[in-house]
Amino acid sequence: MKNIKLFQVICVAAGLIIPCANTSAFKSVHPSKLVYKSIELNPSVPEKTVLENGMVIYTLEDHELPLFNINAVIKTGGIYEPKDMTGLAGMTGEVMRSGGAQSMSWEEIDEKLEFIAGSVETGIGSDSGTAHLSVLKKDIDEGLKIFADILMNPVFDQDKVDLQKKQMIESIRRENDNPGHVAGREFRRLLYGDHPYGRKATIETVSRINRRDLIGFHKKYFHPNSVMLGITGDFNKGEILDKIKMVFKDWGKRKADYPLLENKKVDYPEVPPVRQDLSKSINYIYKDVKQSIIRLGHMGLDIKNPDHYAVILMNYILGGGSFQSRMMKDIRSDRGLAYSVWSHFHLGYRDIGAFSSGAATKLSSTVTVIKRMQKIIQEMREHLVTEQELNEAKEYIINSFVFKFSSTGQIVNRFIKLEYYGLPTNYLEDYLENIKKVSSEEILRVAKKYLKPDQTVVLVVGNKEKFEEPLDVFGPVNEIKLKIQ
Amino acid sequence: MLKKIRKIISLVVVFAFLPSFVFPASLNLEERVIEHTLKNGLKILMMERHQSPTVAAYIRFNVGSVDEVTGNSGIAHMLEHMLFKGTRTLGTTDYKKEKFLIDLINRVAGFLADEKRKGLKTDPEKIQKLEKKIKELQAEHKKFVISDEFSQLYSKNGGVGFNAGTSADGTTYIIQLPSNKLELWAAIESDRMREPVLREFYQERAVVMEERRMRVENSAWGKLYEQFLASAFTAHPYGVPIIGWASDIQNLNRTETKKFLKTYYAPNNAVMGIVGDINPQEVIGLIEKYFGDILTQPSPPPVLGQEPEQSGERRVEVIHNAEPQLLIGYHKPTLPSHADFVFDVIDAILSSGRTSRLYKNVVLKKQIATHVSTFGSPGSRYPNLFVFSGTPRHPHTVEELEKAIDEEIEKIKKEPVTKREFQKVINQLEASMIRGLKSNGGMASKLIYYEGVVGDWRYILNHIKELKNITPEDIMKTAQKYLIKSNKTVAFITKENP
Repeated sequence: MKNIKLFQVICVAAGLIIPCANTSAFKSVHPSKLVYKSIELNPSVPEKTVLENGMVIYTLEDHELPLFNINAVIKTGGIYEPKDMTGLAGMTGEVMRSGGAQSMSWEEIDEKLEFIAGSVETGIGSDSGTAHLSVLKKDIDEGLKIFADILMNPVFDQDKVDLQKKQMIESIRRENDNPGHVAGREFRRLLYGDHPYGRKATIETVSRINRRDLIGFHKKYFHPNSVMLGITGDFNKGEILDKIKMVFKDWGKRKADYPLLENKKVDYPEVPPVRQDLSKSINYIYKDVKQSIIRLGHMGLDIKNPDHYAVILMNYILGGGSFQSRMMKDIRSDRGLAYSVWSHFHLGYRDIGAFSSGAATKLSSTVTVIKRMQKIIQEMREHLVTEQELNEAKEYIINSFVFKFSSTGQIVNRFIKLEYYGLPTNYLEDYLENIKKVSSEEILRVAKKYLKPDQTVVLVVGNKEKFEEPLDVFGPVNEIKLKIQ
Repeated sequence: MLKKIRKIISLVVVFAFLPSFVFPASLNLEERVIEHTLKNGLKILMMERHQSPTVAAYIRFNVGSVDEVTGNSGIAHMLEHMLFKGTRTLGTTDYKKEKFLIDLINRVAGFLADEKRKGLKTDPEKIQKLEKKIKELQAEHKKFVISDEFSQLYSKNGGVGFNAGTSADGTTYIIQLPSNKLELWAAIESDRMREPVLREFYQERAVVMEERRMRVENSAWGKLYEQFLASAFTAHPYGVPIIGWASDIQNLNRTETKKFLKTYYAPNNAVMGIVGDINPQEVIGLIEKYFGDILTQPSPPPVLGQEPEQSGERRVEVIHNAEPQLLIGYHKPTLPSHADFVFDVIDAILSSGRTSRLYKNVVLKKQIATHVSTFGSPGSRYPNLFVFSGTPRHPHTVEELEKAIDEEIEKIKKEPVTKREFQKVINQLEASMIRGLKSNGGMASKLIYYEGVVGDWRYILNHIKELKNITPEDIMKTAQKYLIKSNKTVAFITKENP
């Protein structure tokens, strides 16, 4: 050790342009044997405040840069929209922002925000609504005013509602243009069926929605006690809480704000549970493409399930760990059959999530790739993973853990997400311990339990004329005809 | 003895990482960026940021698809893929034994390629035999391969975002690591720079074909963009797709790819960006130690093609089973010319945000399109294009959209931009600079990009200064000079009936 070091010092000190013989600096230590300083992570914890009106606020000061951000989560979602108005929640989320607010028209809002290089954005997805504010520190007051007005009093300007509908319809007209999008959408429908998660907005449902519906949706779900704010940036906690209280002070004070509520409690429509079990099926969609898009999957588990740690590790080895995964190694690196191949367990927060696996390959290797995917999944269910695989998966998760704390925004958003779904906000405290505990026997157990070949839905988007074997080698094929809806 | 030493080392230097949210960081890049150049020409740009114990370590080589020659398109990107396959030490159990097989596979692949090119005289039996032989040799070779060992080492040590990208101008290799693992990066990347081995070439070539299928053949937008660039550029290699033409990809071979590596990959053609929880002096020491002995190479050959002035408008139709889309491009000088700075302003005024002209007039008012945007393309090392991209809203057509865009162009030529519009552009750029400082990867990327393309990362500092000096007359004159019909290339998708 010492001798080599000296040699290198000579090289550098002498400032030679010609390299010192063949000293490859690491030939003395293989990269896998390097020794490192250790670092101890002490992540900051946001402070929580609950206002009198029920609004939950997480704050985490960050004085690195003169910026200010709020990420809000609102208890609402596409899961609550009536089936014949699929698209209502998304539309409400969009037009809340584009349609102006009580004290400022949409032109004034757009002009003001863009001039100060700030932004307010809103949206509603299937499980929640979001609102985001980003301004320079000097514009906190201006930003807060606009943010609050949009959240509390959007006016849903009629022209903007009309435009949003037109744009959504254009989007629907284009939804079959991209084979990847087709696969994603149809696969979701196969997995979730008539559950809200499986639905999509159609020209019919969008056309049916009008301004009154958006106003009603907003009025029903947007209240101080259904909002959680996550505040990061260059501010002082005491000052900002005062400002927040000030800017939202009139919210929820009027009876008219709660037309549909009893005791200020939102009556959330019942959402059916995601169906656990599926029937095996093979599905085909014709599209004149040069590369098939393959999806296979079934129902999985949720994050409250204690098995999920083992599932995370199992999936990393199966097809989630990028170049390290079995699917990547076999189907891409070894056989050159795909550029994109993966597996994923979506750990549901509200309900169980799905297991899905995908690949894209030229038409003439479609059946081969599906067979390989199935084989790799079957192997995971039948044999223990190797010690090396298990250790590498664990090491990845343990050593990359630090990246879960790489920004204040990330930290606060996680607290909010956990609380929103009723999970303990200290979820990450035991995370590494739970990961370390998992044995290869555990992995085999969860593989047998949560990988379900007899419930797998297969979907192929492609041109079966060019497949190397007919798809019915897997079973009777259900052909889905594409149409614009 | 070794174990004991390790324990002592870790005890001595365990420290609680205290994120420095509490201390404001300087907004002045000039004082934050630290430079160092090795004797072999390798340049390092560093910036400290102690928000979290992580670091982004990026390396950019100033070689991209623009450096390719006819028949070899896609080779820069192919090489990028091959540089994930390991070195003489990593990725193999025995390089000496493996080498013989790699060379043999390459030779047989050469015979196979020759046979395939015989056209009508191709002997299908011979093809079958050769393909079988290659598969056997590859299976034999596989016994010596440790698949994706770089990725394995990085993942085990908590590395995230291990990837690379090839553009028209450059090729960048990226990773983010816990900050105590920078030596791992130095060890791997120096080995990768010094003696990479392009193993499993022909399997990977098939992967690249799949990538092309995904990005181009299966994508209406991909097809359109490819045809657009190929029409806009006739003599200059900016017209060639980064992924490569399908026929060229099929003809890529290991020998040519190795040559390309030798010609373009050298420490004197590389810039490193290291941003995050670092001690710059330690980093310099580390890089000197690992990279110091890598040989300088002769400067790579320049790109000689020059695009002549267009002799008239070009129009190209792409028929595809998808809804219409539109691309319009005008040739323009590149940075750091004055015109390029002016185009940065024009770009922002036309399409930055909801209050931009194209959005306000074409999307909101006329409702002819659902999206319109502008951007520079496809690279910045050489004169390039100012591009308009739009998605018409049925029943409006690409012709109507083109006309609406033309009207906005006429306005820019004839009416001076207002003080407020201009100030908005400046405000947004300044805010964007500040926000950019929040991202290790973003900063590393930005620094090495400008250092590579312009030759000086300080372009970032001067940029705003230059912009502030632009007058309304500048803008009108620049638009009048470049946004003219004879300088225009238009490409659009026409929907084919399925």
